[in-house]
Amino acid sequence: MGLVENGKLPGPLTKLLNISRKYSLWVYQWGLACCAIEMGAAFASPRYDVMRLGVIPFPASPRQADLVVISGTVTDKMAPAVRRLYEQMPEPKYVISMGSCANCGGPYWDSYSVTKGVDQIIPVDVYVPGCPPRPEALLEGIVLLQERIASEDMTDRWNRDPIVVT
Amino acid sequence: MSSPDTNAEEIIEESIEPQEEPIIDEKREAFVASIKQDLGSGFIDSHIDPEIDVWIRVTQEAWLETAKILFEKHGMNFFNFLSAIDWKPSPFGREMDAAIDNVDDEVAVETEMEWGVAGGEKRFQLLARVHNPVANMGVNLKADLEGDFPEVDTWTPVYPGANWHEREVMEMFGISFKNHPNMVNLYLPTEFEGHPLRKDFPLLSRRAKPWPGIVDVELMPGENDDETEESGEET
Amino acid sequence: MNSEASTQQLSYIANQASDARVNIELETEGMTLNLGPQHPATHGTLRIIVRLDGEQVVSAEPVMGYMHRGYEKLTEVRTYPQVTTLVNRIDWLGSFANEVPFILAAERLMEVEAPARAQWIRTALFELSRIANVVLFLGDMAVQLGATTPVFYAFRDREFVLNQIESVTGGRFHPNFDRIGGIKDDLPKGWIQETKDVLVRIHSFCEEMEDLVVGNEIFQTRTRGIGIIPADTGLAYGLSGANIRSSGVDWDLRRDGGVGLIHDQLDWKVWTHPDGDSFARYWVRLQEVRESCKMVGQILDGIPSGPIMAKVPRIIKVPPGEAYVETENPLGVMGYYIVSKGDLVPYRVKIRSASFNNVSITPWVLKGVYVPDVISILASLYFILGDIDR
Repeated sequence: MGLVENGKLPGPLTKLLNISRKYSLWVYQWGLACCAIEMGAAFASPRYDVMRLGVIPFPASPRQADLVVISGTVTDKMAPAVRRLYEQMPEPKYVISMGSCANCGGPYWDSYSVTKGVDQIIPVDVYVPGCPPRPEALLEGIVLLQERIASEDMTDRWNRDPIVVT
Repeated sequence: MSSPDTNAEEIIEESIEPQEEPIIDEKREAFVASIKQDLGSGFIDSHIDPEIDVWIRVTQEAWLETAKILFEKHGMNFFNFLSAIDWKPSPFGREMDAAIDNVDDEVAVETEMEWGVAGGEKRFQLLARVHNPVANMGVNLKADLEGDFPEVDTWTPVYPGANWHEREVMEMFGISFKNHPNMVNLYLPTEFEGHPLRKDFPLLSRRAKPWPGIVDVELMPGENDDETEESGEET
Repeated sequence: MNSEASTQQLSYIANQASDARVNIELETEGMTLNLGPQHPATHGTLRIIVRLDGEQVVSAEPVMGYMHRGYEKLTEVRTYPQVTTLVNRIDWLGSFANEVPFILAAERLMEVEAPARAQWIRTALFELSRIANVVLFLGDMAVQLGATTPVFYAFRDREFVLNQIESVTGGRFHPNFDRIGGIKDDLPKGWIQETKDVLVRIHSFCEEMEDLVVGNEIFQTRTRGIGIIPADTGLAYGLSGANIRSSGVDWDLRRDGGVGLIHDQLDWKVWTHPDGDSFARYWVRLQEVRESCKMVGQILDGIPSGPIMAKVPRIIKVPPGEAYVETENPLGVMGYYIVSKGDLVPYRVKIRSASFNNVSITPWVLKGVYVPDVISILASLYFILGDIDR
């Protein structure tokens, strides 16, 4: 579907495609540290239930995923794997950086083995702060991302600032 | 024994003083006496916290033999941990602090090496703990190591669980183990340089951007601001 | 090796013999399977390189360090109150329990004792965090063996426990509530009754798991006789907690350790299981959740009144000395060896975390098992990556 990325589709069709993408975000099951449990609570627990937002947490392979949540500390040893998994995802793809560790290193800001921010290795669309963020905060991040997807112009995609959940 | 060592001992002794008569821990006294007899010249020093814990310091050569004796004679079959301590006096962590952290000037930068419980002689000390679940008694072991990149016998023939702990010590302190089955890095990427838990390993992030300091000291429950200023520095 | 180990070996030899017949016809050769660093069955980022011959594991070598965050170095540049914030995140499912041994070790060096009320509340939160931790295991082990429902139940009921922890500590996940000399705050109004209601829920969750999982024939077939760890091997590898109790070792630091917490004043039981297989490990943990509920119930009825904080200086300096304190955490024995030089920061902290030792047995226990059993064994050993790599 190179047409979508090129932005050569007529406006109404783009809008239709955007709405479809918005409500069928397949999110890769990818847990790193403490935040993974809060992500699990958001994705698997009946109380938060991410599926009602049209986010489907099923793919166990990055090749089927549209969205990846980097949930937790990225260490220097893990960083190449994160990068490789991101590269395996098909375009258009989105990244949510969940928690202080993934945002900037968090409590391990002075550690010798922690990557200070996953944005050093992959582009991030949404930053969700917290240590760990509550599941509601992650859902807020997802909703904000969906709003952006709804009015997205593919040619302009890489020129935008990331969303920061406040 | 060197003078810093006796100092450390005295402080521990003082802490037990307040009770009227010193408690004699017969179980641990007998245990130490038995180890001393078995090890002979391998035994250097010991320390007992009555009813709480016991420390034994042995020579580098007697390290493996100590494990065998503990395992076979004393039923210490639960392997707890094996690690090391770097006693190098180091301003590390202090010279990079914000001025606000230095709440009192008494904390002078040490220059002499000072050892803890059961004394010490060298920079690197092995530290291990094994436990007897039946008698419910554990023992902390220490051994001084010679040189900057010491080598010592592995414990894996006695305690197979020591395998990973020794790999960890190798990469964190640069202490290697003779006859270890798989002496490779455990945690860090292979290209990592240095031994992080050595006192002279700097945390570069702290150099680049020093910690802003204790900016928000939380009040203790039931304290108000006026009281804290008085009670802050005393005791 | 003792008799249990040789039984295990015998069964493998029998399996290999039957495999050998197939192998002659099918010409299997060695294959290397890379599990992880990301795998749904590994609670984080553990990677295991498994060498296979057909369906059988020839050797398994865990590759760790994907979650190594350098705790032991960082504690050397943090003040004592700051360290509790850090160590919260070691075992992230039962965070409060991580703080307790550190605080107790610092208290021993400072010769401070927390007031009775603080100790009771500490113990209540300690057991609640055990429930929050192990409840997830009970659901998660089932999901790893292919039953998807229990994990939803686990997440559902765990939320109620987290709510109770949150309403006391303010932290749903990482409370950072324990202080040297006591605890930060008193219990909120109405907490005791709410917690009792939650305990009823957890009890019924245990019943549900007993029916759904333990009584399930498929579950039993996949776990009984799988991954047998004999007691002496387990001890020599340093296995602790429910992993060693399910091998028949009757040793629980809550009963035998006796430091700082008030478990000795409660009426409860240490559960053991003679089998030492994956099923036993699940079963023992299930019973432990029930015991924890019982304990919390008794604590709620008996919390004494009084202060929650002993007299400690505002700026905490710990006198020189060394202390090692260990407690029976949800995952096993967790201890902190603190070396203090009378400074604001600890000179050296050795963190003895349970999962590190628990996982170190994997190369031994995985040798000779079949590939699906790898998942069953790893799930039942129950580790958390922050607790392995620190």
